[in-house]
Amino acid sequence: MTEEASTSREEWGTRFGFMMAMIGAMVGAGNIWRMPYTTGMNGGGAFLLAYIILLYLIAIPGLMAETMIGRYTGKGVIGTFKQIFDNRTLRGLGFVVVIVNFALMTYYLPLVGEILYYAIHSLLFTFMDPAFQPEPFWNAFIDSPALTVGTHTVIAIGVAAVLSLGIKDGVERMAKYMIPLMAIALVAVAIRGVTLPGGVEGLAFAFNPDWEYFLRGETWVAALGQALFSTGLGWGVALTFGSYLRKHDDVPLGGALFTAVGNTSIGLLAIFAVFPVVFAFGLEPTAGTSLAFISLVEVFPQMPGGGLWAIVFFLGFFFAAFTSAFALTEPIVTTLDEEFGFSRTQTVVGVVFFIWLLGIPSAISQEFLGTLDYMFGNFGLPIATLAVITLVGWKFQPERGRVLDLNRNADIYIGSWWNPIVRFVIPVVMLFIIAYGAVTSLGSGNETLMFGGLALMAIIVATSLGLAQALNMRTEDERPPVSGGD
Amino acid sequence: MALTPITWVMMLSSIVLLWGIGGWAMYRTLADEDRKVKLIERQGTIDTYSPTALQDLRNWIEANPGDAYHREAVERHDECVEVLRENDESFYDWTDAEIESLEMIGEESTAD
Repeated sequence: MTEEASTSREEWGTRFGFMMAMIGAMVGAGNIWRMPYTTGMNGGGAFLLAYIILLYLIAIPGLMAETMIGRYTGKGVIGTFKQIFDNRTLRGLGFVVVIVNFALMTYYLPLVGEILYYAIHSLLFTFMDPAFQPEPFWNAFIDSPALTVGTHTVIAIGVAAVLSLGIKDGVERMAKYMIPLMAIALVAVAIRGVTLPGGVEGLAFAFNPDWEYFLRGETWVAALGQALFSTGLGWGVALTFGSYLRKHDDVPLGGALFTAVGNTSIGLLAIFAVFPVVFAFGLEPTAGTSLAFISLVEVFPQMPGGGLWAIVFFLGFFFAAFTSAFALTEPIVTTLDEEFGFSRTQTVVGVVFFIWLLGIPSAISQEFLGTLDYMFGNFGLPIATLAVITLVGWKFQPERGRVLDLNRNADIYIGSWWNPIVRFVIPVVMLFIIAYGAVTSLGSGNETLMFGGLALMAIIVATSLGLAQALNMRTEDERPPVSGGD
Repeated sequence: MALTPITWVMMLSSIVLLWGIGGWAMYRTLADEDRKVKLIERQGTIDTYSPTALQDLRNWIEANPGDAYHREAVERHDECVEVLRENDESFYDWTDAEIESLEMIGEESTAD
């Protein structure tokens, strides 16, 4: 594979646009409510310290590997697996990444629809109505298929519209505006929260280190999960976005370090934005998803200028979630577009239609959405990450990747310390996370779900490998010459 | 309620390690991008490896003569050497003496 072979491919317009698109993909709804909650529940500052150590030690080297392999091949997920793996069956591991990503989107789009619904009502000042009641409002929404499927449909149309414009005019342009606006919105809410009477107590809860937690295994597992999953390692996004980099672009600094640290910086901003408000109004900090949809909407009317703060918060929240929605769909579009030869518009319409269709059960049922989230969050994403890291760490070989491509045009030099992390540490950590999730589910209410999740992942892996066999996946070089016409 | 000194330390450390490093990474990569674009506009090409990275690549090429990616590695190495010899200004910190001491590996292979 030479670079010349892929020069006709679309490229990012600007370095800033690429970085905002990467951040846009990684910063999602989870950063806004999960990061503050996980931090507060796992020893505050002690958790943050463990998290930052793992971020630098594992997540950043992992992102370097994924972005590098995409930039090297200049292809999407399936094309990259085809090019690097000699074994045609193992090339099917690329399908694992695509299927997991697809499944994730089927329940993420309805979730973004929920946030859109609240963002619209913030603009209508619904939460400021004296008769407004958060819980009945939420229940009325989720019990109405017309509303949940309707907002899910609007998001699907929005995602299709952005993606049909392409990488530069669609993904990059939208991320370039939405991510800074989201950051400004969170900064504004954070300033307001910290200056509220009692708001500082939220910061004490989030940052005061409880060192007992630092020595607990659960804290490190939670930090690992947050560090790996909030950075989107192994989802095919960094690989795909890396494939659109220009010849002289750097990978390690802008494509990995900035993405991981920038994404976590938004999580830190969310801590400053959410916890002071939670403590100032005596809310339950461990409320999770209902924190945004029930607890916070209850306090906006009690704040001076609360209607405007609700708009700023929910629009920022929506921008974070929507940028993830289209950016996480892009790897599926890119790879199917390349492999099956349809036009980009046809691929976008087809992919988004099937995501929309298969997302309807998640839009209608919160329980179904939660089940998928548990299965794919605990088992699907680690398996996808394992597939990508196996590709770089065991097939392409880290040392080869480091000298040949990672340090090429790099803004920072990466030494050979990177090799064992990619080859050994990350795969072991992913296997540990899968095993830990399974073992801790035994005897709990999630036991059946755990077995179901593992069985589903086994089916996805077997189907992917079988699909590779059935499609007789060959690269351009391996294909026999087209007959006829002589 | 006032924050304790350790809480302040943890909060400020998190800010430095995340916002500080993130801000630095963004500034550095955008500044490098500017320099690359200016050099490419003026010279048409820029060097692709730093002295340490090119030495790593050369070592790997010498240690792995039968590797499937050997030829591509040689091409990438030689492309960088050629650009360094042709251009007046390099992107990475190359000294004139370092550039003069560089050899094309492809030429060596051809001569053999």
